[in-house]
Amino acid sequence: METILFLTPTEAGSPLSKNALEALATTKQLADSLGTTFSVALWGDDPKAAADGIASCGAAKFLAVTGAEFAQPRYATDAAAAEALARAAAATIVIGPAGSRWNRVLAGVAHRLGGRADSHVTGLSVSGGVPAIARWYYRQRMEGILSRAQRPWVLAVESGIAPAWQGSPGSAAVETVACTPPATRSRMSGIESPPTDQQTIRPDADLLFVTGAGWTKKQPDGQVKTPEAEKLILGFLRLARASLGSSKSLVDLSGEGQATLTFLTHMNQVGQTGSTPRHAKGLSTCCHGEEPHTVGWRFVGERRAISLDPNCGWSRGKADVLYVADAFAVIGKVNELLAQKTGG
Amino acid sequence: MTNVDDPAIERPRMDADVVCVGFGPASGGFLTTLSRAILNEDGSTAIESPSAPGLPLQVLCYERADDLGFGVSGVVTRARGIRESFPDLDPAQIPMAAPVSDEKFLYLLDPVGASCRPALMRVADVAIRAMGGVLGVRDDAMELPWTPDFLAKHGGLVLSIGQFNQWVGQQVMGSGAVQIWPASPVGDVLVEKDGVVGVRLVDQGVTKDGKPTEGFTPGMDVHAALTVVADGPVGPIGRQLDKAFGIPDGHHTRDWAIGMKFVVDLPESCELEPGTVIHTLGYPEPEIFGFFYVHPDRVASMGIFVPSWFDSPARNAYKYLQHWMLHPAIWRHVKGGRLRSWGAKTLQESGRRGEPRLAGKGFARIGEGSGSTNVLTNSGVDEAWTTGVMLAEGVLELLKNKQPFTAENLEAAYVNRRRKSWVDKEGRVAERARDGFQRGIIPGLIGMMATGLTKGFLSLPGKSVPPHRRVPTFEEYYRGRITPEEIQAIRKESDAKGISSHAALMERAGWPAISFDGELLVSHQDALLLGGKVQAPDGYADHVEFIYPRDCESCGSKICIEMCSGQAIFPGENGRPSFDREKCVYCGACLWNCSKGNPKDSEKGLIEFHAGAGGLHSAEN
Amino acid sequence: MRVRAVCTRRKTKPMPEYQIVVCGSVVPDPLQTLEPVAGPTGPALKNEMMLPAWLDPWAGHALYEAANLAAKNPGSKVWLVALGPKAKLQQTMMTLAQKVPFELVALDGSASGFTDAAETATALAEAIQSIPGIDRSRLLVFGGWESASRGAGATMQIVGEILGITDQFQGVDGIAVEPDGSLKILERIEGGRHQVSICEAPPALLGWATGSLPEPRNNPQVGMANMRTIMPALQKAKPAKIGAEGITYHSVSLPKQARDTKVVKDLPPDQIAAEIVDWITNK
Repeated sequence: METILFLTPTEAGSPLSKNALEALATTKQLADSLGTTFSVALWGDDPKAAADGIASCGAAKFLAVTGAEFAQPRYATDAAAAEALARAAAATIVIGPAGSRWNRVLAGVAHRLGGRADSHVTGLSVSGGVPAIARWYYRQRMEGILSRAQRPWVLAVESGIAPAWQGSPGSAAVETVACTPPATRSRMSGIESPPTDQQTIRPDADLLFVTGAGWTKKQPDGQVKTPEAEKLILGFLRLARASLGSSKSLVDLSGEGQATLTFLTHMNQVGQTGSTPRHAKGLSTCCHGEEPHTVGWRFVGERRAISLDPNCGWSRGKADVLYVADAFAVIGKVNELLAQKTGG
Repeated sequence: MTNVDDPAIERPRMDADVVCVGFGPASGGFLTTLSRAILNEDGSTAIESPSAPGLPLQVLCYERADDLGFGVSGVVTRARGIRESFPDLDPAQIPMAAPVSDEKFLYLLDPVGASCRPALMRVADVAIRAMGGVLGVRDDAMELPWTPDFLAKHGGLVLSIGQFNQWVGQQVMGSGAVQIWPASPVGDVLVEKDGVVGVRLVDQGVTKDGKPTEGFTPGMDVHAALTVVADGPVGPIGRQLDKAFGIPDGHHTRDWAIGMKFVVDLPESCELEPGTVIHTLGYPEPEIFGFFYVHPDRVASMGIFVPSWFDSPARNAYKYLQHWMLHPAIWRHVKGGRLRSWGAKTLQESGRRGEPRLAGKGFARIGEGSGSTNVLTNSGVDEAWTTGVMLAEGVLELLKNKQPFTAENLEAAYVNRRRKSWVDKEGRVAERARDGFQRGIIPGLIGMMATGLTKGFLSLPGKSVPPHRRVPTFEEYYRGRITPEEIQAIRKESDAKGISSHAALMERAGWPAISFDGELLVSHQDALLLGGKVQAPDGYADHVEFIYPRDCESCGSKICIEMCSGQAIFPGENGRPSFDREKCVYCGACLWNCSKGNPKDSEKGLIEFHAGAGGLHSAEN
Repeated sequence: MRVRAVCTRRKTKPMPEYQIVVCGSVVPDPLQTLEPVAGPTGPALKNEMMLPAWLDPWAGHALYEAANLAAKNPGSKVWLVALGPKAKLQQTMMTLAQKVPFELVALDGSASGFTDAAETATALAEAIQSIPGIDRSRLLVFGGWESASRGAGATMQIVGEILGITDQFQGVDGIAVEPDGSLKILERIEGGRHQVSICEAPPALLGWATGSLPEPRNNPQVGMANMRTIMPALQKAKPAKIGAEGITYHSVSLPKQARDTKVVKDLPPDQIAAEIVDWITNK
């Protein structure tokens, strides 16, 4: 019989994030499927607040490692806390929400416990009494479903598997687990953000707006219209509160002395060596014939595209709707209509 | 164009013993033979380096493409030279290789009625259809009862050149004796006094016009006692040597073809065995020959050759390739299959008559660019390989006897060897085989048969002229089928859209529109982008140069736009063609598809084709 | 009375000489068609040996950053510990060796995405420990934070654990050496932002994202120099048996991609815009 543990770091005084609550729900689902209970383990400066938020989740136990040294995201202290908690719970399956802080340590923690880790888990199921996970291989080109024999099995689960746990807060009976902060030569010193007027990546946006190289190429009238492109794109992002993704070629163009979009960096790149963002809707524009590797689009639900080429790669099975039109004209009008609607 | 001649640029220099330009079958043969002699079995040095004493012979090969496997063409070859180099060769070791199992020759009738056939052929078609039952006509094609001996490839191999090159590269590199560097285009050959002293790699960190940017890295000069030029039929280094040292009297390279092909996953219902070889002739135009080679695991390479003596200014391989594939005799094998990849390449069809100076002080030439292709049997791979082997044998002799690479020594050690070989003997038989095609398809076929059957004794004469002197205008070509006004209108519309005109013209001339199914029939750009397969690393100058752009403005035909395999050349401003490196597959068609002559060299057009990195990026070709 | 001038000099440490060991493997060229097939020992890629191989892209970035750091701190040295099928490593070296100077430690084994990260990590850690002259106080272990094959982000963490390095950073985009010799490191976190951390001194382990450097240009001189050591290293590649012990793959499949695309051709831009706005604003 498995011993299941939901494990996550906390931010001082804050309740758990949506991702964490989804992971909690996933954990509960697994426990139910296996006909067993689960426990909750948290660490940070003041995990009690977070624990109270999920007091009614049905966990058999609440465990915590508390202390100022465990507040900041840092390998040595996070791994030590997680290890202590997993040992205290004698967990055989450990589930945490995917995110930079947990992703940084889970494999190291699994190694310390003599088990194995799997990250980017997109599905969790039980087949024949045996838990199995789903995850993607080769940059989201193929999906594997697998089980492991080794224990503990430490997982980082992506959002989207189960709806976030909802329930009334209360007072959780938290057991403190002792953990001596290990010696470390590292400390977090701050956070760097891109300037706010250039904040184009919005992971929680409903819509992903992807720009292709066609925005900076010569238009049908023979002109290159980069300043206008910038204005239209930034305007759309603001009005639609969308997140910006880009094709590789458009990001690469900055090295070629061509007029480029100044706000684009490789952080915006979607697919291949870029990211695989998760959004309900995605709108691709000016793909310029680039093969839309749906690698980056794997987790985008509804897909539409605007391209002047009716035979471009989107037109066959890759998009729900392809509008054969000039993106400059369409987005210009879209921005107008959105501005009317939102009064912005 | 490049900063080559700017003496102010300081270039780093490196010294080696032998430097090769290009990695294909010819370099494969050369390096395989050479590398085996450089080191002893125990890894100690057998041939010491004159340029780096204490080290083994320093041999470098620079290849333009991203990787060694990115060549183009499915081939069928008798593989005589290749088998001599690899006596224990098991085709199963080389991906996509299969021994030839069956060979067929199909004459394709015209199912669509748009093909431009000479009267004699139309008569023959009618007769063939009438006697269809007796002649075994099926799916609008007649199978020839036998394959002429000179074309037959019995005992041969069906290969993917990409996979073959990769495999050879692995063997050669595995020896540890030779270095092969992909993604390293050679821009210029270094000539000093009366000989070649090495090569210069292409400048990096420049704009598309060749102007230095912040990241400017001048191409390195690599000096070597011997420069082996194996850069193929459209290689710029070969052309530089021709310019510097002249070509033999009476020789020319006026005859070309574009080979364009698909690699297809055949449907499960296909019954063709691996090693099946099918040659076709007659459709979509009589001048266009086709080929279909079956690899293992139900994969096939298939395509067409569009020759320079097919006198249409709207010639373009892609549309014709699709129509060819739709011919019932071909379609019945592929319907339900899936397109895997695509590619195109120029073939040198002048054969031995296109042979340049094979060797001189400090240099030697091998492979297709050295005129080794046999234009009677339509084979080039094994011939190229063997010229490489022969050069290596000669080089090893000279090294052993500590003789320098002078013109006389290379003549004796390499050229003489080549003259005595089957490559040259059979090349001489083939030399006039295709002359008849200069006059038309029927004289050409008759001439080829005559030459083949009499082993070179008989041939039908025909004088070739540079392509720009034979290609007609659109109005001339379409006379009687499309009016000049309509042609004008179509071309104006295409220009405005920035696309070529041949698709619209072909449709107007009766070719049915092709509806794409996303499996086998896709748009030209989709074929190019199948899996994202054309690369254009930044920092390199455009390698296709329009030498006198003002003259392009007034050009009526602009066949460069029509013929570009990747649609990389397209209508630009003021009537000048534009070039998009991101679509160029380095086929070299633009080199011989210019309708204007170069005032400074009557053999050439107005487009120069330099060295560059990137291009087609597929290992299955 | 003697007056003594008192000089205050800011104490800066002498320039550090790093030993940077980069771990990286080969992945199939991402621009080729990849399809899973059932192999004798588990899932594999169709025609895997035919597919051209590149160095994993993030490992590539790690290597270029390593070379950059080494160049700025003379006396530093870069190793690449690469595990993959020997023929594929050789192929990769042809393109990689021209980029930056490094010494190769080659391990001949499977680089399949379906193998277990823990087994790969064990082989890599062993190889690192066997490099003669490794000095922990100067050691930086670099790698890609994830691979383009397995994409787990696990291997480097385990390597770190085996080597006893608990100053680990993932999703790194930048490293800078401060005047006092400490390392300022930028890691990607949510929302397009970076966490800034200070690590006082090596040893440290960095799993790189893309970093900030462009791909170095091909330099034949670097290539020639590299090949002198790379060729022998390839010949001497130690076999490494890498599998997927304990893993049962129930299935590996390609996602179903085909949607029924509606191609809208003849609507004027204004109408298209209205349709799009409708689509965006409705939940």
